[in-house]
Amino acid sequence: MPDINWQNKILHIDINSYFAALLQQENPKLRNKPVGIVKDVGRTCIIAASKEAKKLGVSTGSNAYEAKLKAPDIVLVPAQFDRYLDATKRLKKIFMNVSPNIYIYSLDEAFVNISHCQKYLYPDVEQLAKNIQQQIQLELGEWVTSNVGISANYFLAKIASNIAPKGTVLTIDENNLDGILAEVPFAEVCGVGLRLEKKLKKLGVTNPYQIRFYSQAELELFFGPFWSRELLKIAYGEETNHLALLEKPLSQMKSVSRSITGYHLYDDEKEIKAIIYNLISEVIHKVRKMNLAGRQVSIFLNGQDQFWADHLTVKHFINHEQEMFEIIYNKLYKNWKRHFKIIKFGVRMSLLEKMGQNSLLPNWQKTEKIHQAMDDVNDKYGLFTLRTGALLNQPIIKPEVTGFLGDRIYQLGE
Amino acid sequence: MYQKIGEKIKVAGVYKDYTFQPFKFQWNGRQLKIDKITLVSNIKNGLIKKRLYSVMIGNDIFRLLFDRESESWTIDEVWVD
Repeated sequence: MPDINWQNKILHIDINSYFAALLQQENPKLRNKPVGIVKDVGRTCIIAASKEAKKLGVSTGSNAYEAKLKAPDIVLVPAQFDRYLDATKRLKKIFMNVSPNIYIYSLDEAFVNISHCQKYLYPDVEQLAKNIQQQIQLELGEWVTSNVGISANYFLAKIASNIAPKGTVLTIDENNLDGILAEVPFAEVCGVGLRLEKKLKKLGVTNPYQIRFYSQAELELFFGPFWSRELLKIAYGEETNHLALLEKPLSQMKSVSRSITGYHLYDDEKEIKAIIYNLISEVIHKVRKMNLAGRQVSIFLNGQDQFWADHLTVKHFINHEQEMFEIIYNKLYKNWKRHFKIIKFGVRMSLLEKMGQNSLLPNWQKTEKIHQAMDDVNDKYGLFTLRTGALLNQPIIKPEVTGFLGDRIYQLGE
Repeated sequence: MYQKIGEKIKVAGVYKDYTFQPFKFQWNGRQLKIDKITLVSNIKNGLIKKRLYSVMIGNDIFRLLFDRESESWTIDEVWVD
């Protein structure tokens, strides 16, 4: 018998084609048309597509050239990250009115756990799901539709919303569980990535149910001890390790990173230096805003087909941009014999902890006072209002929200 | 594509359900009556809070920006086919 408590009730809400739906909501001229969202004017990577564009084969990650071959009439519009984040905050309020046990999984996905209150407050769970769909449309507009999956755990609720027809509600229960697990492709199964899917295919396994025909010992030979256990949970629809962690939210972020794909391949040292400093400034701003400091800094750079990364762990905690820059640029980057032009830049601060005792060194305290003054101005008027001279006369890379909301603790204050 | 305008405007509106809803605005010497508000978003830069209204006037779509600190309105962008 699978380890599933069918008394539990979890809802997974997934907004359909979120960024594009919000754009089509605000601009009725774009409704029923293929629309692609790009990061900014001049960008060519499509970060979100409307349902009409998806029907023509345009997917997230396509470039504009490919997209236009598939959908010649596609309209490309720059993203409005502030709007998406605001919409997600409003969705959060809707979900919080249903249950205090919610988890914003990404900008356009959330879990609502009603297990503790379903019996008395929501005897008809499918009706609750429909009410939530209506509330979302009342709040964000009639064009914003959603799927709701209902089941006894996070894993099955997410599969349910993934496979439900657009704008509908689907429940996975004891009666349809095996049938769904025997039909659902791994692309719709949370936790199974492309590499794992390929490895499973080599064994002739193309859906979760087929995993049941292998013993844990056999699976362990191919996938190791961790994934053999996880795959058996997936086979029976039990909660996976990754999703079970939602019940134990992090009290703070463990790392903060920022990456950017440039407009072209960068070879000019002055430009490269400014971009790295810019990204570090944003990371430090977020780290300081959450009253954290970290001991490990990393840099990762991509060329067209090349990749380089390095990191350094120090004994003391860092929360000043000049110090992070000193390590990343002068100690790590400068020691690398750059042999390719750079298209993607990334920096990270990790091993984060709450700031405790401040350093007593006079130099540190002086820098801290400057940082505090900068924080005050930038908190009020926006990041980069006051910035270091290294970023003068440079186009500023401003903060943006990512779809998977990796910095949800920072953005939503969770 | 949205085209940047960035011009200050005067807006008249009504309070409905405890929120302000723009009703018409004056731009280029013309009074434009809003037919539909299609999306409202609260955005901020630092502590400066702004409210972005997407509105339809006939077949045209505008983005109007209300700065909640200075209480001023800007016609931010207009959709151009």
